[in-house]
Amino acid sequence: MISVWHFLSVAAVLFALGLIGFLTRRNLITMFLSAELMIQGVVLNLLAFARFHANLSGQAFGLFVIAVAACEAGLAMALIIAMYRRTKSLDSSVWQNLRETGVPATIDPDALIQPPLELADDPKLPAAGKKPQEVAGV
Amino acid sequence: MSSTALALTVLATLLASTILTPLLAQLRLSRYAHFPAILGFAIASVLSLFMLRDVFLLGPAGTTPGLSLDLSGTYPFFDLNLKESPTVWFHAGLLKVTFSLAIDPLSAIMLATVTFVATWIAVFSSGYMHGEDGYTRFFTIMCLFVFCMCLLVLADNFFLLLAGWEGVGLCSYLLVGYYYAKPSAAAAARKAFLVTRLGDVGFVLGIFLLWSAGGYHTDLSAIFAHIQQHSASHGTLTAACLLLFCGAVGKSAQLPLYVWLPDAMEGPTPVSALIHAATMVTAGVYLLARCAPLFVQVPYVQIYICATGGLTAIFAAFIALTQTDLKRILAYSTVSQLGYMFMALGTVGAITPSIAVAAAIFHLFTHAFFKALLFLGSGSVMHAMGGVIDIRKFSGLRKLMPVTHITFLIGCAALAGLPLLSGFWSKDQILDSLHHAGEHSLHYRVLYEGVFLVALLTAGLTAFYTFRAYFLTFWGEERIPEEAGHHAHESPRVMRVPLIVLAVGAVIVGLAVESFTRHGFSKFLATTPAIQMANKTYEREHNVRSQSSPHFNWKVAGMGTTAALLGLAAAFALYRRGEMVAVPAILKPAHGLSLNKGYVDEIFQGIIVKPAEIAATGTRQFDGLLDSLARFVAFIPRLFAAFLRPLQNGLVQFYALGMVLGLAVFAFFIVFKVSR
Amino acid sequence: MNLLAATNSGNAIGQLAAAVILGVVAIHALLPRPKGRSIALGVFAGIAAVVVIVSWIVRQFGQPSQGQVSLVLFWLFSGGAVLFSTIFIAQRNPARGAIAFAFVIVNVCGLFLLLAAPFLMAATIVIYAGAIIVTFLFVLMLSNAIGTSNENDRSREPLLGSLAGFSFLGLVLFALYQGSPTAAADALKSEYHLPAVTMTSTERTTLLTLAEHAGVVSIAATREEMLKTADGLRESYADLLGTSDSFTDELDLARTNRTMGERMAVRSDVQADAIKAQNLNLKRAVRKALNGLDNLSMKPEATAAEFKESTEDFAKLREETILLAARGELPARNVANLGYALYTDYLLAVEMAGTVLLIATIGAVSIAGRKEAMA
Repeated sequence: MISVWHFLSVAAVLFALGLIGFLTRRNLITMFLSAELMIQGVVLNLLAFARFHANLSGQAFGLFVIAVAACEAGLAMALIIAMYRRTKSLDSSVWQNLRETGVPATIDPDALIQPPLELADDPKLPAAGKKPQEVAGV
Repeated sequence: MSSTALALTVLATLLASTILTPLLAQLRLSRYAHFPAILGFAIASVLSLFMLRDVFLLGPAGTTPGLSLDLSGTYPFFDLNLKESPTVWFHAGLLKVTFSLAIDPLSAIMLATVTFVATWIAVFSSGYMHGEDGYTRFFTIMCLFVFCMCLLVLADNFFLLLAGWEGVGLCSYLLVGYYYAKPSAAAAARKAFLVTRLGDVGFVLGIFLLWSAGGYHTDLSAIFAHIQQHSASHGTLTAACLLLFCGAVGKSAQLPLYVWLPDAMEGPTPVSALIHAATMVTAGVYLLARCAPLFVQVPYVQIYICATGGLTAIFAAFIALTQTDLKRILAYSTVSQLGYMFMALGTVGAITPSIAVAAAIFHLFTHAFFKALLFLGSGSVMHAMGGVIDIRKFSGLRKLMPVTHITFLIGCAALAGLPLLSGFWSKDQILDSLHHAGEHSLHYRVLYEGVFLVALLTAGLTAFYTFRAYFLTFWGEERIPEEAGHHAHESPRVMRVPLIVLAVGAVIVGLAVESFTRHGFSKFLATTPAIQMANKTYEREHNVRSQSSPHFNWKVAGMGTTAALLGLAAAFALYRRGEMVAVPAILKPAHGLSLNKGYVDEIFQGIIVKPAEIAATGTRQFDGLLDSLARFVAFIPRLFAAFLRPLQNGLVQFYALGMVLGLAVFAFFIVFKVSR
Repeated sequence: MNLLAATNSGNAIGQLAAAVILGVVAIHALLPRPKGRSIALGVFAGIAAVVVIVSWIVRQFGQPSQGQVSLVLFWLFSGGAVLFSTIFIAQRNPARGAIAFAFVIVNVCGLFLLLAAPFLMAATIVIYAGAIIVTFLFVLMLSNAIGTSNENDRSREPLLGSLAGFSFLGLVLFALYQGSPTAAADALKSEYHLPAVTMTSTERTTLLTLAEHAGVVSIAATREEMLKTADGLRESYADLLGTSDSFTDELDLARTNRTMGERMAVRSDVQADAIKAQNLNLKRAVRKALNGLDNLSMKPEATAAEFKESTEDFAKLREETILLAARGELPARNVANLGYALYTDYLLAVEMAGTVLLIATIGAVSIAGRKEAMA
């Protein structure tokens, strides 16, 4: 049987990676999934201890954590959609209106390098049901 | 209903009107705001007349029964029970304050006067205030005022009395400042409130002194009984009486605290009539009358009261001689008449207390009628003249406003003390008391005689200034100020009826209750337990039998009437053409002194306000210094904050990072320090 | 792995610090950025960090398992989970990130299975991989970012963030190490195994055969048949059934031989206590069954009730034996037991979780609803 310490170690690694994802990634959805990753680490902890104590309490609580995570997912998605409607962006750094007065807004230092778009002369098929001429002009 | 129940119903009715009136504003029925007030006052008036009859027939009621709320788990869940002892308001250590009411002739008479006059003034107001902004506010405060006044009158407990006392002070403040957008009105309201506050400080101190001297009772009757049995130290009693008198001076506008009353005329005229002539300002007189058992024991305080009253009376009358604002003349006349009442109260102890108190209260009673009448009359004039109240600007309104003219004339005659009118009987009783005191006082005969002469002189001056105002307003050729425009007319019926009712009252109340040899009023009032107690003390100390009733003194009455007629004749001679007359050179200084209100305001300005302002300026500078010091202290954290403020950049992830770093530090501490 | 454990020297803190620094370098190099992103450096440092941390785990906590199958499965699932997590947080394209996250879920579910939680495994896969990921993929498609964008190609404080995360990880691992019995052993300068004493296959086989025999006895139809089979049972397993305490008291003996300090050090070992309790239960069941059998053999004419009682004792003996034999394995009837626990001990919590879900659904609908539609 695998000892509880190994599972705890793996859970800690997962939690730390989720934490880093939450702290650094700016896409709201990635941030949310990072939080879910942290939750997975926690659930793993609960199950390891359930096994260690040879009872079912940890599993039951793992189930509740999953239930709460499902609620969270629903609400987070609703919020993300509402926020996306406002700003047309999934960037969490857009929302910085609540900073201290007098502190300048945080802006990104250097411009993004836009990768060259796909080659213009690639053949493209017209969408179904439309005449080729209409698309040809694009 | 027992008389106690009637008194409680009166209070409840007035409180209900107070609550109901603002609710009407919420229901957008502001134009009917006078209904609850008039109805409540009328009911209260009828009930207090019933109470007066009960007290007259059955004598004063005993202790007030208390109400106890009996909460139980069974139906009907709570029950109101009558208890033997009064309901306790609050209780802290030795201090126990109860809702005890005094139902005796004194309070019954006061209650009936207050509610009766208030009813007719409310009727007048519904016409006078029609269309004003804050119509509901006016009647709400009016209801609250009458409630507080009735509480004051009925209270048999010093703290309950104080509650009513401060309540009427508050309502006075609110009503004087009714036109709060007008700077002079706001200033007058503030002045009224602050000046009376000076007196109230003394009053509260006096209450606590009496509480400690009177066996830690707060009920008036209990304190009187306790002091009667265990004679308190003379010094304490003197101090307590002086402090109570201090409160009365503030409320009843005596020297030197009378300055607020003339300014209080900034309020609407019905307010001046009700609060600043008929009821509230007489609270001091009422207080001293009710505390007669205490005052009878301290003769030199009585001297002081009498002298204050005399000085106030003549000084105010002197100022009133030259004033040109009709309402101000009446205001100074009120101060002067209150001085009369204090003169009468000052003779308690020198003569039989019941007679002296009866004289003061009787004058209070008649004064309420004719002074309310005069104020309402002046309000009627003001209404017609488009808000102008300066008697130089109009004259000859006799034809234009016949009802106002006649009723005003009756009021003037009553105030001047012309024979058979109500003012004649009451003023005569006061003069008689003073005369009597001058003859019978043990130690201060000369002083009482001096005050008697002052009172006579004041009677003459009163007749002069009253009829001066009357002639200037109603006689001569008809002049109407521009402000009135074409709207100069007799007042509507709703304003005329109260004038007529009060005029009838001003004519007959004296004759009805206290003429020549009938002294029903005095005898009735003398059955008040407190006054009986004062009588007993007087008998014990002076070793005489107290007089049962005053006797009509033809000599004194003749002197008073002569003085009044002289004043009237002088006014007729000078002002019958309805125009101002030039002042002869020899009287210029006196005229100036009178016109400028004795320079009292200027003297106060010089000796009190200026030094206070200088001190305030200095304090302000010092405060500025402290402020800059505090700003300097505040600058240091600001300096640190400038470094930390960029941390609050509004980025959620940055905050989360901070949280995690903090958590890491915390975990570091736990792992490496705590667990080792 | 053993090789690594042997060759790595240095104290636990130093090794952990090295792992943390390598991890920071790896994640910092991998996180998306307009300039300076180096996948090669990230992968290299990441592999180094994983090697260091695995060697640290093995050295501090021992090999995860004696059994080869569970050993392989554990490393496979945990390695997969860590790998896909790294890919997920370093992935620029959020849709691909979501797919990586789904793989993380699959691997974590494998770990759940190793932890004897098949129901939770199924539930997690259904909810996360099946529902949440798909929902968010929809949202991503709706937002439909083309080219580079601030949210995908920039990171907020990559260095500080990874430093915070990994220092937190280092602290947690160190705290685990401090709490583990190995650390106590280190402190006592003594060498012994983890409390989770693994059962040898011989022992398990013996126990399972005993269970089989007990089952045969318990279904015996007559007294004679029962006595006969029971005698065979007693002969075959004399060492187990009361004549010798060698197996059942093994743990106790091992404990009594230890010093006071050692016992103190492992007193908090709950799993060992649980196993001990199971052993005691087995012992009681054996004694009871054999006593019943003796009574039965003394009396030639036993009542049917006595006979029935005896067979029941044997049936119980069988269950206890199986339970002990199955120690460390997947418990039977996990789903049924979990359901039983949920609807008895945690009934209120289940109701509340259901209510919370309902409220969250309503909340999500009202938040996401279009304001124009509401007006």
